[in-house]
Amino acid sequence: MSDNPQSFNPDTTDLDRLHPAVKREKADVESGTEQAPMWVIFLGFIVAIIAGGQLGPNVGGFDFNVSNPFASSRFPDPRPVDGTAGAALDPLQMAMKKGAATYALCGGCHQGSGLGVPGAFPPLAGSDWVMGGTERNIRVVLHGLQGPIKINGADFAAPAPMPPQGAVLSDQDVANVLTYVRNNWGNKGSLVTKEMVAAVREKEKARTAPWTGPELEPYAKAEVAAEPAK
Amino acid sequence: MAQPAENDIDSDSLRRAAIDRSVKGPVLFLFTNAAFWLMASTIVGLFAAVKQVFPDFLDENWLWFLQYGRIQPAHLIALVYGWGIPVGLGTSLWIMARRTGQELKTGRSLMLVAAIFWNIAVTAGILAVLFGGSTSVEWLEFPKFLWPVLLICFLVFAWPMVSMFARARHPEGFMISAWYILGACIWFPWLFTTANVCIHCIGDLGAIGAGINAWYVNGVILLFFVPVGVGSAYYFIPKVTGQPIASQQLAKIGFWLLAALGGWSGMQRFMGGPLPAWMPAFGAMAGVLLLIPVGVVGWNHHLTTLGKHKLVQTSPSLRFSFFGALFYPVSGLIYALLSAFWTGANLQFTLAWYGFQVVSLYGFFSMCMFGAIYYIVPRLVGCEWLSVRLIRNHFWFSVYGIGAIVVTSIICGLQQGGDINDPEKWNLSFSNVVLNIRPYIVARAVAWGLITWSNVWFLIHLMLMVAGLGRRSTAPTLLPSHDHDDGLPSISHPSKA
Repeated sequence: MSDNPQSFNPDTTDLDRLHPAVKREKADVESGTEQAPMWVIFLGFIVAIIAGGQLGPNVGGFDFNVSNPFASSRFPDPRPVDGTAGAALDPLQMAMKKGAATYALCGGCHQGSGLGVPGAFPPLAGSDWVMGGTERNIRVVLHGLQGPIKINGADFAAPAPMPPQGAVLSDQDVANVLTYVRNNWGNKGSLVTKEMVAAVREKEKARTAPWTGPELEPYAKAEVAAEPAK
Repeated sequence: MAQPAENDIDSDSLRRAAIDRSVKGPVLFLFTNAAFWLMASTIVGLFAAVKQVFPDFLDENWLWFLQYGRIQPAHLIALVYGWGIPVGLGTSLWIMARRTGQELKTGRSLMLVAAIFWNIAVTAGILAVLFGGSTSVEWLEFPKFLWPVLLICFLVFAWPMVSMFARARHPEGFMISAWYILGACIWFPWLFTTANVCIHCIGDLGAIGAGINAWYVNGVILLFFVPVGVGSAYYFIPKVTGQPIASQQLAKIGFWLLAALGGWSGMQRFMGGPLPAWMPAFGAMAGVLLLIPVGVVGWNHHLTTLGKHKLVQTSPSLRFSFFGALFYPVSGLIYALLSAFWTGANLQFTLAWYGFQVVSLYGFFSMCMFGAIYYIVPRLVGCEWLSVRLIRNHFWFSVYGIGAIVVTSIICGLQQGGDINDPEKWNLSFSNVVLNIRPYIVARAVAWGLITWSNVWFLIHLMLMVAGLGRRSTAPTLLPSHDHDDGLPSISHPSKA
């Protein structure tokens, strides 16, 4: 207020000190008293409703132990707790996707193309072993294989030994990778489930040595009987 | 009117001259150093952007300290601690002294010492990051022992401002810019101490550590950069246009809602993450609610500049402040998009967040600070800005650079989020997600190039001014009112001009 000489009444400029720079300095004026228009308040309410929509449904009951925003005492967590239960939605898709990841273990020898290396690593693509009975396949993966074998009529007199994977891979992993191998590169084979793998593992739990070709001959066409995947 | 008006004006002029003189040293020191850091930050940001496109760029064995993982944080902390906070403190100090009508009586040399130590700490911190000593905590990458130094230096500046405010008599009622600056002086130490104590001293916090970090980053933006930028716009827009702030009521709403909401925000960055669900939910709510104060302030500035758009063209300070004030609602809108669960889930962990940091730090805050510098410096050094051309280059290169970064970051965020989240794209490999955003990264590199170019000239211009080599003239350096002469588009809306 200009009636108070002591008050800070900013206005023109510091004429002498600051010379022309300040010629354009205008007076500080008191804020206007325009009222907030009605539509500002109205829009504010809309924003507040949207913001409430962010808060209300997402607090998880204000529980420090709940990180799922949708959980509350009345409506418990709708997501499957068992991570593998998702497989029931589409077992083949699931097994193919996960098996592809597990195949990284196999691809080093059998190659990404599944064609193997002639004379050393037998092919998986179009192989009569792979598309044959599930029991032999499971045994090979669980316990390994060594010695001469014959695949698609071609002799592998001294193939590189297949290391056992049973200790590294879970039943589900073995099932996934076998399903992947049996349905990739133009192969068509049935689904291998973790129950089937578990059944073979149980039957042969004493075995430590790798299989040989002749030992597995009886299982060439054998299918493991197990509950279908749920 | 108890006194003759002329007397009043004379004494006021003298007092203001004394105020300007009293803060001259610290303010100019902060401005010049900040401009150096700004240029350093933009150059490093340019390198980082180029490296994202061509990883082989500068990839020599002896340049091991220029890896992307080191220069990207170095770029951002140089922008925040090298440029943002010092320039904010300098502007705040000047505005607070002017607005409360008080000289800075004591503590000037202490302030200079604090400013020197601040710069030493930032230099040491950035070197440590480049040499591999980063703590890897976003915006707190400095080695752990540096934060008390920074905090004390900040307090050396903040304390005189707070006491100025406390001593001030309030003949003009609610001094909105002083309130914002007071808020910034109090909130930053609170945020900085809390975040550092929790993350560096307590430690071993698990997932909540990341939440606290996100809270800190958003808090610094909302409770330091926003108040200083808005406070400066609230001071300079009425000052240059000579119009009163349109509505005191809107100004109050904008301030108190920001004060109430700013500290609630941040954790929505980890929505759906392993934090207690209500924490991101509160962040999302606050992020959306902030639209109210942001929109109200934007509307208020719009009303204040109504009918004065000619001045926006001619006055450099108003032009920069106006543009900054214009970008405040823009950054608020982007923040609401990032915060709301519907859109945020898609933009989470994408470059859109980087876009928000850049738009709020550069498009909004830095532009307001440039406006302040163009106003303050001639009054402190007693000469006029040298070149209209340099100012115009600075403005347009900044505007186009920042505009490009904002637009491309948001679109890039949508693309990136879609690639990551869309169930149809489950077999899209991560490297393909990265390849898909390549065009946006290229645009970002170009934009940082434009901004770097503008900053080099700004720094040179500022240094010439500080060295006292400005124009000795009675006429202020104003931009020509018709940029059309140069084939450049005009900022003002034709219908409002």
